[in-house]
Order: sequence, then C-alpha cells, then structure tokens
Amino acid sequence: MKIKYTDSLIIGGGLAGLRTAIATSAKGLSTIVISLVPVKRSHSSAAQGGMQSSLGNCIMGEGDNEDVHFADTVKGSDWGCDQEVVRMFVQTAPKAIRELASWGVPWNRIKKGDREVVINTKKTTITEKEEAHGLINARDFGGTKKWRTCYTADATGHTMLYAVTNEAMRLGVQIEDKKEAISLITKDGQCFGAIVRDLKKGGLTAYVAKGTLIATGGYGRIYKQSTNATICKGTGHAIVLNAGGYMGNMEAIQFHPTPIVPSGILLTEGCRGDGGVLRDKDGYRFMPDYEPEKKDLASRDVVSRRMLEHIKKGKGVMSPYGEHLWLDISILGRKHIEKNLRDVQDISKTFNGIDPADKDKKGWMPVLPMQHYSMGGIRVTPKGESVNIKGLFSCGESACWDMHGFNRLGGNSVSETVVAGMIVGDYFGDFCKKNNINIDTKMVEDELNKQDDYLNNLLKLDGDENIYDIKNEMRIIMQNFVGIFRNGKDLKIAVEKLKTLLQKSKNIKIKNKCRLLNPELEEAYKVPMMLKVALCVAKGARERTESRGAHHREDFLKRDDKNWLNRTISYWKNEDDLEPTLKYEKLDIMKMEMPPAFRGYGKKGNSIENPISQKRQNEVDKITKEHKGDRYELQEKLMPYELQEIYKEKNQRLGDENE
Amino acid sequence: MLNADIIESITGKTTKKHKSRIPAKLDLLQSITGLILALFIVFHIIFESSILLGKETMYKLTMIFELEFIIEGGSPIFISILAFVIFIILIFHAFLAMRKFPNSYREYLRFRTHTKLMNHSDTNLWFIQISSGFMLFFLASIHLYIMMTQPQNIGPFASSDRIYSDVMWPMYLMLLVSVVLHAGVGIYRLIMKWGIFDGENPRKNRVKTKKIIQIVVVFYLIIGIFSLISYMKIGYDHRANYGEKYIPQMELKNEN
Amino acid sequence: MSREITIIALKYNPSDETSKPRFAEYKLPETAGMTLYIALTKIKTTIDHDLSSDFVCRAGICGACGMIINGKPRLACKTLTSEFKDGKITLLPLPTFPLIKDLSVDTGSWMKNMNIRVNSWIVSTQKTDISKFEKKIEPKVAEDIFELDRCMECGLCVASCSTAIMKENFVGAVGLNRVVRFSIDPHDERNDADFYELIGDDDGIFGCMSLLACEDHCPKNLPLQTKIAYMRRKMVMV
Ligand SMILES: Cc1cc2nc3c(=O)[nH]c(=O)nc-3n(C[C@H](O)[C@H](O)[C@H](O)COP(=O)(O)OP(=O)(O)OC[C@H]3O[C@@H](n4cnc5c(N)ncnc54)[C@H](O)[C@@H]3O)c2cc1C
Ligand code: HEM
Ligand code: HEM
Ligand code: SF4
Ligand code: F3S
Ligand code: FES
Repeated sequence: MKIKYTDSLIIGGGLAGLRTAIATSAKGLSTIVISLVPVKRSHSSAAQGGMQSSLGNCIMGEGDNEDVHFADTVKGSDWGCDQEVVRMFVQTAPKAIRELASWGVPWNRIKKGDREVVINTKKTTITEKEEAHGLINARDFGGTKKWRTCYTADATGHTMLYAVTNEAMRLGVQIEDKKEAISLITKDGQCFGAIVRDLKKGGLTAYVAKGTLIATGGYGRIYKQSTNATICKGTGHAIVLNAGGYMGNMEAIQFHPTPIVPSGILLTEGCRGDGGVLRDKDGYRFMPDYEPEKKDLASRDVVSRRMLEHIKKGKGVMSPYGEHLWLDISILGRKHIEKNLRDVQDISKTFNGIDPADKDKKGWMPVLPMQHYSMGGIRVTPKGESVNIKGLFSCGESACWDMHGFNRLGGNSVSETVVAGMIVGDYFGDFCKKNNINIDTKMVEDELNKQDDYLNNLLKLDGDENIYDIKNEMRIIMQNFVGIFRNGKDLKIAVEKLKTLLQKSKNIKIKNKCRLLNPELEEAYKVPMMLKVALCVAKGARERTESRGAHHREDFLKRDDKNWLNRTISYWKNEDDLEPTLKYEKLDIMKMEMPPAFRGYGKKGNSIENPISQKRQNEVDKITKEHKGDRYELQEKLMPYELQEIYKEKNQRLGDENE
Repeated sequence: MLNADIIESITGKTTKKHKSRIPAKLDLLQSITGLILALFIVFHIIFESSILLGKETMYKLTMIFELEFIIEGGSPIFISILAFVIFIILIFHAFLAMRKFPNSYREYLRFRTHTKLMNHSDTNLWFIQISSGFMLFFLASIHLYIMMTQPQNIGPFASSDRIYSDVMWPMYLMLLVSVVLHAGVGIYRLIMKWGIFDGENPRKNRVKTKKIIQIVVVFYLIIGIFSLISYMKIGYDHRANYGEKYIPQMELKNEN
Repeated sequence: MSREITIIALKYNPSDETSKPRFAEYKLPETAGMTLYIALTKIKTTIDHDLSSDFVCRAGICGACGMIINGKPRLACKTLTSEFKDGKITLLPLPTFPLIKDLSVDTGSWMKNMNIRVNSWIVSTQKTDISKFEKKIEPKVAEDIFELDRCMECGLCVASCSTAIMKENFVGAVGLNRVVRFSIDPHDERNDADFYELIGDDDGIFGCMSLLACEDHCPKNLPLQTKIAYMRRKMVMV
C-alpha cells in the first residue's frame, strides 16, 4: 500500500492552490500541491483581462479605495455575498498585487503625460500625473466605478500564474503534476487527506495530511458551451460531496457575454473595457438602449441577458451555429489592438479567420454568451474551512467563500484566488501547525481499497450504456434547461433527466479493460461526479424562486430579499441518493455594512424589499452622520471584521495626505 | 595536476568558486576562427580567380604574395608560412567545431530522423555545414599540404598543370563546393548567432541576410567554377610542356 | 462541401507491457472550422475510446497540446484541419519529452527541471512592504519583460531543436529565454556572472547552435533568436 505523508496537502495548482502553498511553506510546513496538469497550464493561465485592486494610481482610478471596491463588489453580487469576506478581500487586494509585482509580474505601468483612450467609443485624451509614472496601471472593466483592473496586456492570468508558481518553486514547494484526487479520506467529520491517482502511470496513492485544501477551480464543463478549460469538471467539488461536505450557491453560474462563436474561446472583457462595443445584425450598437449608464460595460449577467433579449427580438445574426451578435473592436485602431489585445486578435484570426483590426464589418467577431464562472462551490467559513468537515479547507473558484454572491465582477476572480491564497492560506497553515492527527492506518487503507475496488468494479460493469453519451446528454440538458434564462418547468425536467443519467451511469460498459492508463475508465468515474455537481446546480436553481444576479428566473423576475436573502446549501445525505439535499443559510441584514438596495444597473424597482433593509439603512446612515474620524474608523463601526494584522494595514496611495 | 580538476573530473562538481569560463572562450574562438577562415576564402577565391583576367594578372598576384615588392624576385617561403598559419587555424577551428558533431550513431540517427521529418530550412543548413565541414577536414588538409610543401608551384602554368595533368580538378571541385557552402552558411549563422544585424526588425533582416548570402554563394560558385575551367583549359593547352614555368610578359619583352 | 479526412496517430502505452507502438488510422467527416482538438475529441468519443492526448485550454493559451503534425511541432488546438489539402494528417507525440501514452507526453517534469535549473524566479534580498508603494518600473521595461514572459512552456522550441534532440541535457530556448527575462527585470538582483553560473556551459547557452527552429516554431512568436544572441554576447563577456 502506498501512503505519503505531508503537513499540508493542496489539491489544485492554479493561482489559489499555489498561493496557499506559498503561505504554508512560509510557515515551515511540508507542502504538497497536486494538479491534473502541469500547474502552469491550470485554468488560471487563461484569465486575460486583469485583476482588480484599488490602487488608484492611474488618473481614471483616482479616488479609488477599499470602500469603492467594496461597494462595487457587493452591488455586483446582488447582495448575495458575505460582506465581511468582501471587506477582507478589498483590504488585501492592493497588497496582493504589490506582492505579485515583487515576484515579477510585469504589470503594465503608467506613462506620464497624455494618452489617447477610447471611452464610450469616443477618442479622449487623458493625462497621467508625473508622480504616477512607473506605478501599476489599470484599465476599465465591467461593473466598476473606477478604472481598477490591473493587467499585463491580455495575458494577466498567465503572468500571475507563472510568477506564483516560480515563487512556490523557489520556496521548495513539492509540486506533483498529472495527479488527480479521486476521493477524500474522512472519518467522523474530519478530513485526513486524499486518495490520489497517478495520471502518468495509473496507480493509486493515499496522501495523508494534517490539513487538506481544495483549490480545484470551477465546474463549467458540465455545460455544453463554456469558456472553461477541458479540465474544469468539478471533480474537486464532487469528492467533497462524496465525503458529505456542503456546497454553497451552486446555482450561481455566470455567463460571459463575449466568447467567440462557435469555439467558445473567451474574448476578454478588456475588449469592451478598452472601448469595444456590441452590435446587432444591422450593425447597430444596442446596449445604450438597454443600459443608458454603463452601456456595454454593465455587469456580465446584465449584458448577457440583454444580448439574448436582443436576439429574441430578431436582431441576432444568423449563422450555421445558430444566432449570434457582433463584437466590434476595430474602432480602437490597429495599433492599440496589436499592442494591448494581441491575444484576442490571435484567437479571432486562428479560430475564425477574422482580423479584428480590419475596418468596419470585416473585423467584427461573432459572439454569444456562454457559461463562464462558478460563483458557488465548497461552502467555507471566512477562514476558508469547510463548514461541516474539519481539516478541510478550500479557496479560489472552487470555494464558496462568498465574496461573489450571485454574480462576480470581471477581474475580481483572479484577485480572489491570490487574496484568498494569502488569507485562507495563512489560517490553513496555522491549522496544520496546531492540528496533531493520530493516523489510523486502517482507515486510510480502507479508503484506498474502497477506491481500488470501485475502479475495478467499473471495469467489470456489463451494461448497455455508453459513458460518452451520458456525458454529452448531461451537458446539453444543462445548456438548454439550466442556462441564462431559467424557469420552473425546465428546471424540473432538468433535475429529473439528470437523475436518470446518474442512474444510467451505473449501468455502463467499458470496452478497454486496462486498469492503468485508460481514458474511458477515467470518464467512467468522472461523469458520475460531474452529474452530482450538475444536480446541485439544477436543483438549487429549481428551488430558488427569484432572480438574483446571474440566476435569472423568467417566472420570478424580481430579486426577493424577503424570502431569498440566503445561501443555498446542497449536500449528499446518503451515498446512494440520486439527488442532493438542500437547506438554506440566512444572510443577516442587520450585520451588513451595505443593506440591499438598487444595483445601479438593470431594471429599477425590480426587487421585493425586505423591511429590515430600510431599518438597517437608517442605522447605517445614523452612524455615518454621527461619525467623527476617518473612513477606516467608520468602517470598523459599521461592520467589524477579522483579518490578519499584516493584511489589515492601510494601503498607501497617491494623494494619501489629503485624506 | 590540480586537486580541483581531479575532483571535478570525478564528481562533476566544481570546487572552484566560479563556473569555468572556458566554454565561453571556446564558443567565441570557434566563431572567430570560422570568421577568419571565411574572410580568407572570400579573398582567396577572388585572387585565385584572377586567372580569368589572364595569366599575367594571376602571375603578378602570386608574386605579390611571395612578397616580391619587398624581396627581389620574391620567395615562396612566405606562401608556405601563410599556408601553415591557415592550417593551424583550420585545425583549431575544426577541433572546436567537432564538439558539435553528433558524437554517437544514436545521436546521429535521432538528429537525422528529426531533421528529415521536420524539414526546417535553417536546421537543414546546419546539416550542410557539418557535412561540408567534414569534407573540408580532408580536402582542405590535402590542399594546404600541397601549398605548404610546394609553394613554388603556384602560377598560371604550374597550377594549371596540377589541376589538369595531375588530375587534381575533382578534388578542387569538391573543395570549392564545400568551402563556399560552408563559409556562406557559416557567415549567415554567425550573424544569427551573435545577433549582428538585428536592427529594428530582426525578422525582416534575417530574411534579407539570407537572401544576400545566397547571392554571394552563387556568385562565388560561378567564378570558382569558371576559374577551374580556365585552369583546365590552360592545363590542356600546356599538357605537352608539363612542368614548365610561366614566364611573365615583362621578362619576355626584356628578352626581346 | 464537407470532405472526409484521415488522421493517423501513433499509439503506444509504455506502462502496458503488451502494448506495441503502431500507427492507428481514423477517418472522419470534416466540419467547418474544425481544429485538431475538435477532430481528436470526436475520435476519442466515437471511434477510439482509448486514444490519449493532452488538451487543457483548447485556445492556444496553456501550451498543453504540442504534437508533431505532419512533421512540424505545433499546437494541435490551434491547427485547423482545412490547412491540409490532401486531408491526411499524421500525428506523433513530441520528441525529447518522456512519452506517457499515445500523443500525451510529460512536458511537466522537463519544464520543472528546467525552471529549477535556471532558478526561474526573482532573486532579491530586499523585503517588500506590501502595504507601501510598489517599486516603480519604466513602462517600456515592463513591456519588454512581458514580451518574454509570454512563453507558455509548450516545449515546441525544445521539440523542434535538433540540439535538444541530440543532447538530453540541453536547456533549450525556453530556458535561455527565461534567463533573459529575469536578467532584464529590475526586481532581480542577479548580475551576468550569476547567470553565467546557471547557463555558462555547453548544456546551456554555448550548446545552442543557432538552428533557429525554436524561433520558427514558437507559437507565441517570441524573439528567441535575438534574445539568445543577446545572452550569448553577455555571457562571453563575463
Ligand atoms: C477564459 C477565462 C478568462 C478569465 N478571465 C478572468 C479575468 O480576466 N479576470 C479574473 O479575475 N478572472 C478571470 N477568469 C476567472 C479566473 O481565471 C478563475 O476563476 C481563476 O483563475 C480560478 O483559479 P483557481 O486557482 O481557483 O483554479 P484553476 O486555475 O482552475 O486551477 C484548478 C487546479 O486544480 C487542479 N485540479 C482540478 N481538479 C483536480 C483534482 N480532482 N485533483 C487534482 N487536481 C485537480 C487543476 O489541475 C488546476 O491545477 C477567467 C476565466 C476564464 C474561463
Ligand atoms: C595559404 C594557404 C593557401 C594557398 C596559398 C592557396 C593557394 C591556392 C592556389 C594557388 C590555388 C590554385 C590552384 C592550385 O595552384 O593548386 C588554389 C585553389 C583553391 N583553393 Fe587554395 N590556397 C590556400 C588555402 C586554401 C584553403 C584553406 C582553402 C579552403 C579550405 C582553399 C580552397 C581552394 C579552392 C576551393 C581552390 C579551387 C578554386 C577554384 O575552383 O577556382 N585554399 N589555392
Ligand atoms: C577542417 C575543416 C572544417 C571543419 C571540420 C569545420 C566544421 C565546422 C562546423 C561543424 C561548424 C558548425 C559549428 C556550430 O554550428 O557551432 C563550423 C562553423 C563554421 N565554420 Fe567551419 N569547418 C571547417 C573549415 C572551415 C573553413 C575552411 C571555413 C572558412 C571558410 C569555416 C568557416 C566556418 C564558419 C564561419 C563557421 C560558423 C562559426 C560559428 O557558428 O561559430 N570552417 N565549422
Ligand atoms: S519559447 Fe515559445 S516554443 Fe518555447 S516553450 Fe516558450 S512558448 Fe513554447
Ligand atoms: S533551435 Fe536549438 S540550437 Fe539554439 S537557436 Fe534554437 S535553441
Ligand atoms: S490546449 Fe492549451 S494550448 Fe492547446
């Protein structure tokens, strides 16, 4: 029997996992990171647009600070987030970006003097200050008041991931790639590590650890059309579900407005951030009609829905792959595109044969909203620990730490990964240090044997179902019935169909009987995992009879703060159940720094108000009015929150003296 | 012997504070020797093609190399010395370059399969370079040996007799082709290796450089072959008087 | 009109003793805008469930899907089947990297070794106070670093380099590029002599024979020729 021991085990080598590894190894803990793929290929590398952090260096970001970032994020989440976590996040984000700079992320820097930019499709000249020269620059992004998104051209995730991996390597973190966690070792509500499959050789090993952290990213691949990488299958969520762990808000799925048709490869929000616009079949720029204030840059859920709405009005462009709309960046000029949106140009040229720098219609790129981000995930406390399994932590996209609520802002996600890696990583490290476990080798052995038997049994199955068909069907169901516009009828069908598929997955037949490297066997154990995740999404969506953020119900158009200001918890009660059990976790308005109100975009008066919101608002107003002192003290009065001292420190900004 | 060297040779770990600077020197020397040889050839072929302009021109040039302008009547020993110097450089260059040869059949096989499959132009050039270099090792040595040992036998008739009557022309033809290709490719690669003409747009310049070198190589091959033909013709006409030395026009006039 | 294409792929599973290397041939109808990712996925899900290959981002970003495609090292996800006029495409796994199975190779371990070997990280004695201003960097310098930081460790430069094919320990263009990247980064305190310790030998910069296949096959179009030349100039002057 193969057992490996370590202090901290980190499953997932994206930005979140690796930043956590840096935190634990800085504490002197032995740290192992496992990943399905060489870590630098993790999906984090695909993030193009940028990372939000309220540095306020550039002229268009002047006046930005934690408070503004906080408000943007809470509004973006449609009040579904945990505001304390958002506070932890916004306070740490500037530090994260400065730390990354020192690790070598070549952030785009400010050049003093005049610069021509495109705002609202109009060329405008802005003048950067002398003292800002050489500091980190930022660009405009959807749903933000200030220019806050720091970037390296359109390969931000790539450069961040490389810097973080490099730093982890410098610290001697043990990175093991081509390894997959297929189950957790748990007993009596505590986690002791994971069973890991070697994807180079095929064997199983038990990794025993004082603490285990899951940073396996999103689960977009349960949808037919997704911007996510092929490895984003949600197996990390599934192993937690299988161990009885809680998921939070799994139905909160974000759709991105501008993946290119038909490949689903994302064209960054930076396209619109830099001044690109959406057009319909007549070449008409339609977003200002729907969203006069933020126009093409309203938050993602809003833009995505408006696009589909517009298509429904018959304004979509017909194509062999269905209807789509156009994204026009040619107005930015060839020079700008070739410098700042080079990857976009590359994608469009390679996959569609379109050069977006070409003038007018020739350069327009076909786009359509697709699945993009999973706000929900493993439900954790602000310290990152699972709410119901001790010793199990999670951060990054895989977690429902809950700073995104029902919609995440562009650029807030890579930012979350590193910030959570710092904060949660530190708590996680402390936990691993304190937690002395008594290893019951029998228990480890049992789990290992169980998984071994499970795989052997899969090979022996002699049914008449084909695992690839099941997978394909699942992805189509999710696409058609649990998509951008949802309704009770469809969702009901979806849940039933998914249950049938889960049942069917036990009645398959695998042609190739090789136990080691066998792609079909891999599918056979992964698809049921994906189905469980999909069921959490579908059932959560079916039950949530309101529209909030990205979760949009055609039969319940309003945000319902009276009944639904809560978090969906889904979990697998019994191993053999065909569907998850749901329960709800209430959000306490009286503790909120910013009680529910109008988001500032979307339709006004589109919510069922909770009377407590007004009560809390009055309270907040009163405290604010009576407050003497700076904004930090005020914040502390409104909503105190816990955070490591080094992260809570004030962030230095240009023009600090004026405060 | 230094203890440090013994330790390094056995353990592969150096006890010296710094990594050896020798690889850097060798790399530079390889290029410098190559460059010297290439420049030598550039002029050599021009000089030696002077035969195309007539026997007299070639003779005069030869005398210049024999330093006639310093020493009365000139002395072939200087050619011997020059040949010897060039020979040393050549051996040194070959010795340095040899490090880059595939050093086992396995390596060679991997290399050949790979280059054939990929069919990449510059990698193919390198194959030309090592093949021609390999040939040069023998051909240039023979040629230089002759030049060192019989420096007196250079001249419109002597050279032609050697080429025609001694049947050296096949060797010269091979030598010509190898050396022109080797030097041409060598110079191109030298420019790429050290980034000599990067300029504003290195990629464009690379294409340009390649083009220019191609033209030069063709030019050299043409004048080389024509000279060879010229030597052959003189050698053929002169075959009856094999061994007879060329008498310059000037002296002929004086005799009259 | 849609035509039929033929894909020929090397199949071999080194971890299975009974497996013998062979070429498998697949025929399938071409669809509009079909990439090799789409084609191989189709094969894997419908014709041969046992074919292995690596795709992650399927967008030419992550560098996972390098293969030898009709002799050329390329990214499969960025290769359109329509490029091949005769509709015949032969796929081989990348050389120089250990074979895992079929078209899947272990670039991860190779790259990890390379990274460790060239100390591919910022070396600095300065402690950063992360709540204070970041170090100022000239915008142009940041752009230059970014340009080189775009490398995605796809390994195509290594797989196309005949030097790397012959000499197992050659650090490759990817490694040399990485050194240049750090050498121009103002955060990094290392000087040329320090870098010489990492690459100043015949497995490093002096092993490169300027074959330039790296430059010609790099899917990110990195300026490898000029950067290797730059480093060579620096290293001989140390
Ligand atoms: C196309 C695209 C563009 C984006 N652009 C932006 C942007 O501009 N700004 C922004 O803020 N956000 C962006 N995002 C979102 C952001 O990239 C992700 O949310 C974030 O990178 C997730 O990081 P992570 O570390 O949580 O997970 P990932 O980077 O996805 O890493 C997951 C890791 O887990 C491993 N793993 C998964 N399952 C297992 C298992 N069972 N066993 C072992 N290992 C496992 C994987 O190998 C991988 O290493 C974008 C997302 C997409 C899809
Ligand atoms: C100092 C040294 C050298 C001297 C004095 C010398 C001299 C000559 C002479 C006199 C000839 C005419 C033919 C003959 O007389 O045999 C000749 C031809 C030639 N030499 Fe040299 N040579 C020298 C070095 C080299 C070297 C190093 C090379 C290349 C490696 C070279 C390549 C050739 C070639 C290719 C020809 C034939 C040219 C043609 O076809 O027109 N020589 N050389
Ligand atoms: C004994 C005969 C010779 C042999 C075996 C030989 C071999 C080689 C080889 C193998 C290389 C490639 C080295 C590399 O790629 O790093 C090389 C480079 C070169 N050779 Fe030669 N060569 C010989 C003679 C010559 C001659 C006569 C010339 C001049 C005409 C010459 C000029 C060059 C040049 C310019 C280079 C490029 C240098 C570099 O890449 O650093 N060589 N030689
Ligand atoms: S240098 Fe280019 S070819 Fe080499 S690994 Fe990097 S991106 Fe790939
Ligand atoms: S192909 Fe190889 S030899 Fe050098 S120039 Fe590129 S690394
Ligand atoms: S799959 Fe990522 S580059 Fe091809």
